[in-house]
Amino acid sequence: MQFCRAQSLDAALEYLAEWGADGCLLAGGTDVMVRYNKSEIAPGAIIHIEGIEPLSLITTHGRTTIGALNTHRGLAGDAAIAARHPAMASAARLVGGWQTQAVGTLGGNICNASPAADLAPPLLVADAHVTLASMRGERRLPLDEFFIDRRVTARRADELLTTIDLEPLPEGSAEVYLKLGRRGAMDVAIAGLAVRLSLQEDGSVGAARVAVCSLAATPRRVPEAEALLLGARLEDDALAAAGQALAGAVSPIDDARGTASYRRRVLPGLLARAARQCGEEARQ
Amino acid sequence: MTAVGANVQRSDGEAKVRGEAVFGVDLAVARMLHARLFRAPVAAGLIRRIDTSAARASDGVHDVVSGADIQNQRAGVAVFDTPLFATDYIAYEGEPIAAVVADTPELAEAALRRIEIEIDEVAPIATPEQALSPGARLVHPSWAEFGTVGGIDFGAHGNMVAEIFSDPGDVEAAFEQADLVVEGTYSTPRQYQAYLEPKMALATYEGGRYTVQVSHQYPFRVRDRLAQVLDVPKSAIRIVGHHIGGGFGAKLDLGLEAYAAVLARRTGRPIKMVNLPDEERLTAPCRENAVVKIRSALRNDGTILAQDVDVVFDSGAYANNGPAGASIPMFMYASIYRVGTARIRSRMAYTNTAPTGAFRGVSGPYLVFAAERHMDQIANELGRDRREYRLATLASDGHKMRNGQALEELSILHKAFELVEARAPWSDQGADQEADQDTDQNGEKLRGIGIAAAVWLTNPQPGQATVKLNEDGGIIIVTAATDSGSGAVTTGLRQIAAECLGLSADHVAVTMPDTDVAGFDAGSQGSRTTHVAGRAVFDATSEVRRRVLETAAGMLEAAKEDLLIEDGIVRVAGVPDMSLSLGQVAMAATFSKGPIVATASYTTPPPPHDPELTKGMLFNTWPTPTYHVHLAEVEVDPVTGKVTVARYVIAQEVGRAINPDAVMGQVVGGVAQGLGYTLWERMEIEDGRYVQRNFETHGLPLACDMPKIETILMEHPEPAGPYGAKGAAEPSIVPVAAVIANAVSDAIGAPIDSIPITPEAVLDALQSLEHGVSG
Ligand SMILES: Cc1cc2nc3c(=O)[nH]c(=O)nc-3n(C[C@H](O)[C@H](O)[C@H](O)COP(=O)(O)OP(=O)(O)OC[C@H]3O[C@@H](n4cnc5c(N)ncnc54)[C@H](O)[C@@H]3O)c2cc1C
Repeated sequence: MQFCRAQSLDAALEYLAEWGADGCLLAGGTDVMVRYNKSEIAPGAIIHIEGIEPLSLITTHGRTTIGALNTHRGLAGDAAIAARHPAMASAARLVGGWQTQAVGTLGGNICNASPAADLAPPLLVADAHVTLASMRGERRLPLDEFFIDRRVTARRADELLTTIDLEPLPEGSAEVYLKLGRRGAMDVAIAGLAVRLSLQEDGSVGAARVAVCSLAATPRRVPEAEALLLGARLEDDALAAAGQALAGAVSPIDDARGTASYRRRVLPGLLARAARQCGEEARQ
Repeated sequence: MTAVGANVQRSDGEAKVRGEAVFGVDLAVARMLHARLFRAPVAAGLIRRIDTSAARASDGVHDVVSGADIQNQRAGVAVFDTPLFATDYIAYEGEPIAAVVADTPELAEAALRRIEIEIDEVAPIATPEQALSPGARLVHPSWAEFGTVGGIDFGAHGNMVAEIFSDPGDVEAAFEQADLVVEGTYSTPRQYQAYLEPKMALATYEGGRYTVQVSHQYPFRVRDRLAQVLDVPKSAIRIVGHHIGGGFGAKLDLGLEAYAAVLARRTGRPIKMVNLPDEERLTAPCRENAVVKIRSALRNDGTILAQDVDVVFDSGAYANNGPAGASIPMFMYASIYRVGTARIRSRMAYTNTAPTGAFRGVSGPYLVFAAERHMDQIANELGRDRREYRLATLASDGHKMRNGQALEELSILHKAFELVEARAPWSDQGADQEADQDTDQNGEKLRGIGIAAAVWLTNPQPGQATVKLNEDGGIIIVTAATDSGSGAVTTGLRQIAAECLGLSADHVAVTMPDTDVAGFDAGSQGSRTTHVAGRAVFDATSEVRRRVLETAAGMLEAAKEDLLIEDGIVRVAGVPDMSLSLGQVAMAATFSKGPIVATASYTTPPPPHDPELTKGMLFNTWPTPTYHVHLAEVEVDPVTGKVTVARYVIAQEVGRAINPDAVMGQVVGGVAQGLGYTLWERMEIEDGRYVQRNFETHGLPLACDMPKIETILMEHPEPAGPYGAKGAAEPSIVPVAAVIANAVSDAIGAPIDSIPITPEAVLDALQSLEHGVSG
C-alpha cells in the first residue's frame, strides 16, 4: 500500500485520477483507520488530504459554505455555525467523543455514508448541497441525491468532496437535532432526528423539514411527516399524526443497538418533542 | 494516630500515571517465544479430526500442541472437570483446542488459521433451564467421574454442577397459615468484568522448576492449580506477580499460565501469552446469569411467615469456583429481614457457554436484586410504604441466618437507614405516580425512588506478612497480597505498618508477590486484603516494634516501658536528649542479635454456626459482616424509555477507613460497575454464543453517564481488624441493581424484574401498563 500526502487540492485530484477506485481518501481517518485495521478495506493507496488548508474554510455570504475538512470540534465551537445551524452544532458535539470530534471531519462523515451519520439529518433539513471536484471539473448536487445506499454515494472514484453549502436558519424558524443513544458519548445513534420549522404569526407551521438517520439505509428527509406538519399547529393531535406518518415512512432494522420496533415506537414522541422545542425557540 | 485515616498516596500511583509501571502484558525476556490458543469456533460439537500439520509447517512456528500431545487430565478449583484442551467434544465457544508457539504473536496467529478441524456440531445446551429439563443432553457425559475439592458432595447430578439447600421442613405448613402469598421471578444476565489488561502469562522452565510471571489477583492459587494441572509438586513452581491491569475476580483462577508452562517445558524457551481483547471478553469468567424465584407467605399485618427461594444459575461449561457462589443464597435470604422460616434451594447448571466465575460481590448483586425487588412487591401488595415496611421487617442484633450464625451487629443497618434518611429524605410517591400516567404525553420525566439493604462479608482466608526494618529505618513489607487497583496494598498495608511503628507511610515499601519469597496469601478477593493481610502486617509490625524497643532499651539504658516512637525516633519519655533513630536501632540489632524482622499470619476464625442446617456448602459461614443501605432517585423519559440516575446515596459500614479516599474510590467504582450491569451492559446469549461480540455493542457506561455518588462511611471499628478495618471494596456493587430497579418500577408504576433495564424494556413495561389499564 502506498501513502500519498496531498498538500493541495490539485495534488489530491491528480492522485485520485491516478488511483481511481483503488485510492482511498483519508481525512481525519476515524472511519478509514477502523475499517483498515479490521481488514474491511485494502486500498492500493491512501491519499491523505488533511493538510489541504482551503478545505477548512467556512464562508457565510448568503448560503453557508463549509469546507469538507472542518472537524466536528471546530463546527461545534464556531459562532457563525451556532447562529446559522444550531442543529448541526449540536449534532457535531454528539459525534463519538472529544477525540473523535477533534479529528473527524464533516466531509468524512458524509462520504462514509453510514446510515447513522449524525451530521446528515441537520444538513438535510438545511437543504445541503455538496460540491464534488475532479480533474474533469466540478459538479454540485443535493445531499439527498448524494446518498444512494448504505455506504454507497454518488461520488465517482476520481472525485473529492470540497464543500457543502447550506441554507441558514431563516427568521422566525428554529431547528433541533435529537440523538437517541444509550450513553452520553461514544455511541452510534439508535435514531437521529432533525427538525427545522418556521412558524407563522398565527402559530401554524409555515415550513417544515424533517430528516432522520439510523432509520433507513441512508439518512433521509421524511416528506410524509413534513406534509402533516405544514399548516398545522403544534398541538397533540397534529403532532401525533405527523409522528405516526414518520414512524410509518421509515424502514428501520433490528441491529445490535436496538430493534426496529423500538425505533419506530420512539419516533412519534421524539418528533413531538423536537417540534415543540422548535416552536418554543421560534417564538422567542 | 497519623498514618491511619489519612489519604496517603499510593506507592504505585505516580508510576502508573506516568506510564512507567510494568504490567504483565508489558513483560519481555530474552529468547522469549509467543503462543496463541486455537479456540473452538462453535458452542457444542464432536471433534472428528484435528490436523495441525500445515500450522506446524507455517513460518516461524516452533511447536503446535493439542490434547493428544500432553497430559490433559481434568482439574479445577471446586470440581475437577476442566481439561487444558478439548479433545473429543467441544463444551463452549472459545474452548481451547490447541496452541501454537511462534517467533511473534502475529506468526502464531497466522499459523492458527492453518489448523484444520472437522466438527460435527450439535445443538448447544444454551440455558440452565434447558440443562436441567428432563432428558436433556449431558454437557459432560462423564460428569459422575469428576472429583471435587476435599471430596465435598455438592449434590452434582447430570447437568447439575451443584445443588445446595437448606430446608427446615416447616415451610409448607407456614404457607397453609398465610393470608396472602406473594410470588416473583427475577432474572439477571451475565456481566463481564471489563478490566483493561487481558489475561497473560510468561513462563520459563529451568532446572526442573517452572517460573511463571503473571498479573494475577491470587498468585498462590496459580501455584496450587499449576501443580494440580501439571502434576508436579507445588515447590517446583514459582509465581511472580506484577502490576495488574484490573481483574474484579476474573483473575482468580488459572488463565493462560498452564499453557505457557507446558509450552515452555516443551520448547525449552520462555513463552509469553496474551489474549486479544475480544478473545478475552468472549471467554472471560463472567458473573453468571441467574433466575431467582421467591414465594412469601404473609399475614395481613405484613409479617412474613415463610419464604421459599429457588435460585438457578448458569455455570457455563465448567464449574470454576461456582459452588462457592452457589453457597451465597444461604446468607442473602432470611438474613437481614425476619421471614419466619425459609427453604432455600440453589442450583447451578452446566451449559454449552463460556464458564462463568468470580466477579466482585460474587452472586450478591442478583440475589439482593431478587430479595429487594420482592420486598417492594410485598409492600406494594400490602399497600405499605416500602421503606417503612423494610424497617418493620428488619431483624435485630443476634438474628440468626440459615447456617445458624448470628448477625451480632445487625442494628448497624437500622442506623444506616437513618443516616440515609437524614441525607435524602424518603418520599414514596409510588401510588400518586400511577394516577399521573397520562400526563406523560408531553414527555414529562417520570420520577421514582428506591431503597435496598444488604449484608456482605469479608473473605476470611489466610494471609501472611513479613515486616523488615532496614538499617536506615525504612520498612519493607514482604507479602504475596496483590493490589489489583484498590490501593489495599499500596496504601493500606503501608499505612498500617507506619501507624504501628510511629513513622510516616513514606518510609514503608511493599514488595510485589513472589511465591518463593512471601508466605501464603489468598489474594485480592472478597475485600479481604486490608482486613486479613492488614492484620498480619499489624501483628508482624507489632513484633518489630517490640524488638525495636527491646534493643533501644539496652542501648539507652532505659526501661522499655519508658520508650516511645515518634516520627521514626525512639525517645525516653520525659528525657528530651535521650533518643535514637530507628535506623540506629536497626543497625545495632543487625550487628548483634540479627536484623529486626518479624512474620505473622492471620485467618479469620469461622463464626459459630451449625453445619447441619445446610447441605452441599463450599463455605459455611459469613465472616466479618458489613452493612449497607443504598438509595436512588431516577428519572425515566417516557418517550425514549431512558433512565437517568438523579441521585445516589449510600451508607456503608466499613469498620474503619484506613484511607478514606481509597475507600470512597472503591465505593464509587462498585456503584459505577453496578449501574453498568443494571442499565447498560449486554452479554446476551443466543444458541450458546454471545450476541454482542465486542465493546462496540457491549455498552459499558462512560464517566459522563455516572451520577454523583454521595457516600456516608460508617465507622464502627472491628476488634479483630487492623485499627478496626473490615472489608470495604467489594460490597458497593451488591445493592445497585436492586435499588435502581426499585426506583424505576416506582417511576413507571410497573414492575421491572429483570435487567438490564434497557430503554426498550422500560417502554415495554410502560406499554403493558397501558394495555393492562385499558383492558
Ligand atoms: C470511536 C468512534 C466514534 C464515532 N462516533 C460517531 C458518531 O457518534 N456519529 C457519527 O456520525 N460518526 C461517528 N464515528 C464515525 C466518524 O468519526 C465520523 O463519520 C467522522 O466524521 C468521519 O470523518 P473522518 O474525517 O475521520 O473520515 P475518514 O475516516 O478520513 O473518511 C471517511 C470516509 O470518507 C472518505 N472521505 C473523507 N473525506 C473525503 C472527501 N473530502 N471527499 C471524498 N471522500 C472523503 C474516506 O475515503 C472514507 O471513505 C465514530 C468513529 C469512531 C472511531
